[in-house]
Amino acid sequence: MPNIVELSSVSKTYPLGNLEVRALDDVDLAIEKGEFTTIAGPSGSGKTTLLNLVGCIDIATKGTVVVDGKSTSDLSESALTNLRLHKLGFIFQSFNLISVLNLHQNVEFPLLLQGGSTRAERDQRVRSIVDKVGLTEYLKHRPNELSGGQRQRVAIARALVTGPAIVLADEPTANLDSATGKSIIDLMKELNRVEQTTFIFSTHDPSVMAQATRIVRLVDGRIAEDGRVEVEARA
Amino acid sequence: MATFRMLVLVAFRNLFAHWVKTLFVGSIIAFGTLLLVTGTALTSSIDRAMADGVTGSLGGHLQVYSAKGKDELALFGGMFMGAEDIGRIDDYSVLRDRVEAIDGVKAVLPMGIDMATATSPGELEQALAELRTAVRDEDAEAIPGLKARIREILSKVGDELTKNAKITADAARIEEGLAIVERATSDELWSRFDEAPMEVLEYLDTKAAPFTEEGRMMYFRYVGTDLEMFPKYFDRFEVVKGEVVPPGHRGFMFNSKFYEDWVKHFVARNFDKLQSAVVAKGQRIEDDASLQARVRQMSKQYKRITYQLTPSEADALKSELTSFLGEEGALDALLEKFLAVDDTNLAERYAFFYEKIVPKIDLYDFDVGDTITLRAFTRSGFLKSVNVKIYGVFQFRGLETSDIAGGHNLVDLLTFRELYGLMTADKKKELSGIRDEIGLEDVSAADAEDALFGGDDEPVEQTVQRTEGFDEFEGIDLATERERMEAVANATFSKAQQDKGLALNAAVILDDPEQLEAVRPVLEKTLEDAGSSMKVVDWRAASGIVGQFITVVWGLLFSAIFIIFLVALVIINNSMVMATMERVTEIGTMRAIGAQRSTVLFMFLLETMVLGTLAGLVGILLGGGLIEWLGSVGIPAPNDELTFMFGGPRLYPSLGVVSLVFAFVVVFFVSLLSTIIPAFMATRIQPIMAMRAKE
Repeated sequence: MPNIVELSSVSKTYPLGNLEVRALDDVDLAIEKGEFTTIAGPSGSGKTTLLNLVGCIDIATKGTVVVDGKSTSDLSESALTNLRLHKLGFIFQSFNLISVLNLHQNVEFPLLLQGGSTRAERDQRVRSIVDKVGLTEYLKHRPNELSGGQRQRVAIARALVTGPAIVLADEPTANLDSATGKSIIDLMKELNRVEQTTFIFSTHDPSVMAQATRIVRLVDGRIAEDGRVEVEARA
Repeated sequence: MATFRMLVLVAFRNLFAHWVKTLFVGSIIAFGTLLLVTGTALTSSIDRAMADGVTGSLGGHLQVYSAKGKDELALFGGMFMGAEDIGRIDDYSVLRDRVEAIDGVKAVLPMGIDMATATSPGELEQALAELRTAVRDEDAEAIPGLKARIREILSKVGDELTKNAKITADAARIEEGLAIVERATSDELWSRFDEAPMEVLEYLDTKAAPFTEEGRMMYFRYVGTDLEMFPKYFDRFEVVKGEVVPPGHRGFMFNSKFYEDWVKHFVARNFDKLQSAVVAKGQRIEDDASLQARVRQMSKQYKRITYQLTPSEADALKSELTSFLGEEGALDALLEKFLAVDDTNLAERYAFFYEKIVPKIDLYDFDVGDTITLRAFTRSGFLKSVNVKIYGVFQFRGLETSDIAGGHNLVDLLTFRELYGLMTADKKKELSGIRDEIGLEDVSAADAEDALFGGDDEPVEQTVQRTEGFDEFEGIDLATERERMEAVANATFSKAQQDKGLALNAAVILDDPEQLEAVRPVLEKTLEDAGSSMKVVDWRAASGIVGQFITVVWGLLFSAIFIIFLVALVIINNSMVMATMERVTEIGTMRAIGAQRSTVLFMFLLETMVLGTLAGLVGILLGGGLIEWLGSVGIPAPNDELTFMFGGPRLYPSLGVVSLVFAFVVVFFVSLLSTIIPAFMATRIQPIMAMRAKE
C-alpha cells in the first residue's frame, strides 16, 4: 500500500515565554492508506501536535510533512485549507458541532463548503452516511438534543461525508463513557473497513488502543514504539 | 448559492441563539433608524413647508439683487431690523427683460422692502376727518353729533391743559393752547362753521389738533412691488377686506396680522388677546401676571372709547352699562370698571364689548378707503412723507398668525420709490423750481456753516409770526394744497412707468420649482454676461435668519444621527468582538473542516447585515408609521417662528423615498463598518483552536 502520510525528521517547537518547548523531536513516520492507526502516549507526549501536523492545521518547525503527496510546508494557507476540505476529516474530543445547525445541516456543511454539488446529491450523501452512523431518526435534531455518543457519531459522519483520504481523531473517546467510547471506536473501525478510509486517532485509553491495527507510542515527542497488529491474526 | 443559504441560515440561527445580544444591538439600530427616518422626514417636510410658505408669500424661488450692497437680502428680517443695505437695481426694466427671457422663468416681480412709520390719527383728528366727510357729503344728520363730539373733546383738552399748566415748564405754550381751545369751543367759531365749514375745519386741524393727544406711531415693514402681479404669482396672498390696489394706481394694503395687532382699537386688541389667551389657550388671568397687567392697562384706557362717542352715544352706552353692571355712576367710572375683567366675566364682557361698544367706535385707526401718511427716512437722510390710499387688508394663507410673515404691508412701487428717496424727473424739476424761487445756490461744504447760520442777519421769527392769529391761514390755500396731494395720490401710472426705475430686489418665479438649481446658474451667467453685478440667491438664503434656521436644523439632526450611530457602531463592534471570542471553537472548527478565511469573514458580515437589515426595517416601519400618523393629525406649531417654518399652523410631515433610502443605506453601512474589526478578528482564528477545546 502506498504511504498517504510521510513525516521525515519532523520537529515542532513552541515558544513558551523565553523557553522553547519541543513538542515533537525528529520524528519519522509513514502511514499507509487504509491503516487504522492510534497515536498513544501520556499527556504532553506530542500526540495532538502530531495530529495537527498531519491534519495540515499546523506546520512543522523542521522536517517535511507530506500528506496525500503534497508537502504541507510548501502550501499556502488557502491551499492547506483546500487540502483539509477535500482530503481530510476531523473528529474532535469535544465533538465541535455547530450548535445552531441541526444534525443534517452539520453533516452537510463540508459538502456546502466544497460546492459543486446539487441538493439531491448532498441529501443522498448525508442520508447515507448518517444511516451508517445510525442516527437517521435524529436528522432534524440540534446537537444539544443529542447525547455525547450521538454527537460524536454526528462528528464522524461530518468527517466522512466528503469521502476524505484520512480521518484524524484527537482523543475521540475522552469525553465519553467507556461503553459509548467502545461503540465509537467500533464504528470507526467498521467505516475503516468498509470505506477504506485511513484513520489516525490519538488516545491514552488502553482498551481503545487495543482496537487499532497499528500503535505508534510517543514519549516526550519521540516515537518510542511503533507496532502493527495483524488484523487477521487478531480476528 | 447553497453555501450562501447555509450562511444566511447560520447567521439567523446565531442571531436567534444570542437573542439578548441581538435584541440589544437590534434595538439600538432600530432606534437609530427610527430617528433617522423621522428626523429626515420631519426636517425635509419643514423644508418643503417653509419653501411653500416663503416662495408663495414673498420670496419667489429665486431673488436677484445687487452685489454692491453691504448686507444680504433678508426678506423676513435679518440681524439688523430694517437697516439692511442690499444695494439697488437702478433700472428694473432692464433686469426684467433679461430674466424673463430665460427658459423656465415664469415671472419676475420688482420689490423694494423698507421700513416706514405712520401715525394713527388722534381722537380729534379722527372726529374732524369724519366731520369733513359729513360736510362734503352734506350729511345733515351726522353733523350736529360730530360737532358736539368735537366740542366735547376740545373741552376735555382744555381740562388737560389747565391741569398741565401747574406742572409744565413751558407755560407760554400751554397758554397758547388754552387760548386756541377757548376759541375753538366758543360759540362764535361754531356759528362761523355754518357759513364756512372747511375754513373752520382747517383751523381746528392745524391749530387745535397739535394740542390734543397724538395718535400712535406705528413702525412697520412694507414691500413696494407690482401690485397687479403680486396676487397672481404669490399663491398664499388673499384679500381679507377691501380689494387689491387696482392696476396703475397708488395704494397701500395692510397685512392682516399687522392690522389686527397694531391698527385695531387699543381696547379691542387687548380684549382679543385676553380672549384668545383664556379661551383658546386655556390660561387663567388669575394665575398669569402678564394677563393681569394687560387687564390693568386696558381698564385705564377707557378714554379711548369715550373720546370717540358723540354725546347721544355716550348716554346710550351709559344706560347699557348701568344695566349690564347693575351699578350707577359716571360713564368713565362704569367703563373702567367694565374693562377690569376677570376669568369669570371675560366671555360675557367680550361679547358685550363687540355687541354694544364696537358699533359706536372706530374699530381700526385706519379703514379701507382712508388715506395713510407713510413716513420714511430716505437714503439721503430726509424724512419723507407720502399720502397713499388704503385699498385693502390681505393675509398670507396659512401664515395668518405668524409675526414673521405678518409684518409686511404692501404698497405700489412708485410710492416705495418716493419713500426710498429717489427723485422722479417731475420732483427734480419741482425742487429746482423751488431753489430758483428762493434763490438757493449750491453750497460747498466749506461755506456750509456760513450759509446756514451766518451771513445777513435776517430775523428767523418772521416765519413764526405768520402762524399767529386766526386769519393768517387764509393766505395759504390749504384746500388747494390738499387737492394737490390728493391728485398725486390718485394719479395713475403705466406698467412701463412702474418698471422703468428703481427696485431693490426682484423675485423670480419659476415654472417648475424643482428646476431651481438648474435655472440658477443660467440666470447668474446671463446677468454676468450682461455685465450687471447681481447676486442670485434661493428663497432659503433670501428669507433671512429664519430661513437659514433650517440649515441649522439639518446640521443638528445630522450631528445627532452621527453621534447615535457612532455609539451604535462602538456597541455593535464590542458585542461582535465578544461574540467572536465566544465562538472561537466554532470558527476554528469551521476553519479546520475547510472553511476559507473569506467564508468566515463573509459569515460575520452577513450576520450583522441581517441584523442591520431587520432592525433597520423595524426602525423604518416604526418611523414611517410615526410620520404617517403625524402626517394625518399634523403637528401644531407651538409658536410664531414654527408657524412660519411649518408654512402654516400645522405641519403635515410626509415620508420621502429619499429619507427611506438614505436611512437604509446609513444603517447598512454602519452595520457593516461596525463588524469589520470583529470579522477580521474572526478570520485570524486558527483552525488549531478547534483542537484546543477540551471539556
